[in-house]
Amino acid sequence: MAVLRVENLTKRFGDVVAVDDLSFAVQPGEIFGFLGGNGAGKTTTLRMVLDIIRPTSGTIEVLGAAPNKRKADAIGFLPEERGLYAHMKAIDTIVYFGRLKDMSPADARQHGMELLARFDLADRAKAEIGDMSKGMAQKVQLACALVNRPELLMLDEPFSGLDPVNQGLLEDEILRASQRGAAVIFSTHVMQHAERLCDRLLLLKKGAKRFEGTLDEARATLPARIAAVAKADIASVRGVATATPVEELGDGWHAYEIELAPGVPASAVLEGCSTQGVALRRFEEQRPSLHEVFVQLVGSEGVEQ
Amino acid sequence: MSRNILLIAGREFRQIIAMKSFWLTLLLLPAAIAIGPLFASSLEDDESKRVVVIDRAGGEVVEALDSRFALESDRHELRDISRYVRRHKLEAADPDAPWAQHDRWYSDTDVATYRAEGGMDGALAKIERVRPEGTPELDTHEPAYAILRADETLSALHGDALQARVDALLSAKTEDGKAQADVVLLVGPDYPRDPAIRLWSSEQPDAGFVTTLQDTLTGELRLGLLEARGISRTDAQAITAARPALTVTTPPPGGGAREAVLIRSIIPLAVAYILMLSLMLSGSWMLQGSVEERSNKLLEGLLACVRPEELMYGKLLGALAVGLSMIAVWVVCAAVAVFVAQGAVADIIRPALAPLTSPFTVAALIYFFVLGYIAISIIFVAIGALADSMSEAQGYLMPVMLGILLPITFLIQTLVAGKGGILVQALTWIPLWTPFAVLARLGSGIEYWVVIATGILLAAFVALEVVFLGRLFRASLLATGQKPGLRQLIERFKPAQ
Repeated sequence: MAVLRVENLTKRFGDVVAVDDLSFAVQPGEIFGFLGGNGAGKTTTLRMVLDIIRPTSGTIEVLGAAPNKRKADAIGFLPEERGLYAHMKAIDTIVYFGRLKDMSPADARQHGMELLARFDLADRAKAEIGDMSKGMAQKVQLACALVNRPELLMLDEPFSGLDPVNQGLLEDEILRASQRGAAVIFSTHVMQHAERLCDRLLLLKKGAKRFEGTLDEARATLPARIAAVAKADIASVRGVATATPVEELGDGWHAYEIELAPGVPASAVLEGCSTQGVALRRFEEQRPSLHEVFVQLVGSEGVEQ
Repeated sequence: MSRNILLIAGREFRQIIAMKSFWLTLLLLPAAIAIGPLFASSLEDDESKRVVVIDRAGGEVVEALDSRFALESDRHELRDISRYVRRHKLEAADPDAPWAQHDRWYSDTDVATYRAEGGMDGALAKIERVRPEGTPELDTHEPAYAILRADETLSALHGDALQARVDALLSAKTEDGKAQADVVLLVGPDYPRDPAIRLWSSEQPDAGFVTTLQDTLTGELRLGLLEARGISRTDAQAITAARPALTVTTPPPGGGAREAVLIRSIIPLAVAYILMLSLMLSGSWMLQGSVEERSNKLLEGLLACVRPEELMYGKLLGALAVGLSMIAVWVVCAAVAVFVAQGAVADIIRPALAPLTSPFTVAALIYFFVLGYIAISIIFVAIGALADSMSEAQGYLMPVMLGILLPITFLIQTLVAGKGGILVQALTWIPLWTPFAVLARLGSGIEYWVVIATGILLAAFVALEVVFLGRLFRASLLATGQKPGLRQLIERFKPAQ
């Protein structure tokens, strides 16, 4: 059973369509990337999943139940805009959120301390949030999201504002949650993290789904390119859409940038070169990056590599 | 759901009681009440005023004044003892003593009897024999006026020299800080033939003092005139001393109709006043909590765990707990104060507690206090959801506070003054002010049906507030950085889509 199922979800704010007929599902253990530029509808969708705002139409199921059933004990959420009670101690804050998620005080405290130790904050457990650095407070907030060992972990732009060390720590926690069977959804516009972590991706533009699938499927949406060094007649090989010479190398050898015809694998072109007797000194397949896919599908606005 | 509400309420409560301003406020009221009487007693003028008399007419006038003011002082003492004996039912000490007779205005003869029986000391000795343990002692006071003869030097001065000396006397202090003279009287050498009396005073003289003075001097004047017409001094004294025997019937101390109503109203009025006070104080704390959640951007994380309604109810419950805790502390302080003070205060407290013997009144006190607290607090919580910063919240809060509290101030003043009228009636039926009006009127008499009907109206009003302000709260929670216009505000009152 899918941990989260969204079907035909639409949210309008007056005349603005923030989310437009969106459908997707996230399975246990899956890391699901929610990609899109600013204003694509990522946060609005996550807020609807949490029943913070209500959809205009469509259905949402969290562990088989409507969001208003508030399965807080099964959900962990790290919002994009982060903040905690300045005068509460770190461990008390984690216990408070744990208890709001139906945990016993003892269990919340024990797991909270384990998380703080993992985040190298055990010695600051009794420090007030207001006395901590921003990075430390962000780790405490991550602990608040993880304390209940959620089955559905939702992270809204989790990497923003984190230094590289803490970004690594967060990646580890996402993988750890996935390994214990949790479905993890995170929204981001940083493609590196998505490429490294996501099993599947969903690309949003102006609230509408532009793509959903695995990373390979995403790359396959753009034609693969081949960098080749060959004789001039490579353009006639079957499956080559265009072969653009980029450099004259002497003795009839040219460096080419080859674009394949849609649906033609690089291996077919290589085989064609062999059967047609086209001499090759270099044949390197260059798969499109997620960034390129994103720019192609969504546009370059609001995206980081 | 209720678990989350309790958790939120608990956190709100702990956050507020961790504030220094909470403890300052909590202790300020009992401290002010404790310091108030001390301060008042330090201001109390318990010393005799010094009246220096320059009697150039031979000394009879100063003797007459001394005698009359001593008589009035003893009459005052007698009244004090009578009131004390009546309040504590100590007549058994000497049922025939004048101070055990409470049905008259004490005549000169009564004072003479009182003096003959040993005055204050004699009376206290008798009372002491029957005074039960725990009955407070009688508070005694210095005589209001001390009549002093002017020395020879002063008596010999005239004109500017006399004026200068009198001015010096009125402004100079003795070693123990008392005025050398509060009043100087000059009786001319031809008195009573020339009845002019000169009076200097360091301040506007007390009306009672002037009346007694005039009465005494008039008596002496008439005595002289009667003697001049051939009437013997004894007969003349009998004529001038003739007084009607005035029989007086009064309710026991604290038993007068208006006094009784006022005393019965003490607890209900105090509850209304405390409701107003605690709402004024806790309003800003509630806002502080809400604004912190918004400005620290932790609302979204919170709303992932709880419903907006749970958050609102939790905040209300936390605020109510803070208000009730403050009242509990103040009640304990009051109880300690009453225990320590006993005496006069306890005598007032006893009839004041009388309304609490009625289960209906007790239930009404609790009901209107709790619902009143919720009705106003929910407005504060909604304001907190609208504001991004404390200064913005204060901007909303001030007009709302003034709008709510000003009519209440008028209401309480009107009821304390023993008046009613259209304002009191109107405020009783307007739900926002119903709790204050009903609470304040519980002691002075309010019909049962009015209490029940206004109670139902108030409950309906709170229910509407919960629905509509709940929608506003929910819709405003995540709308940070947006200053809503009137149209947007109205939109937020509509149900969530």
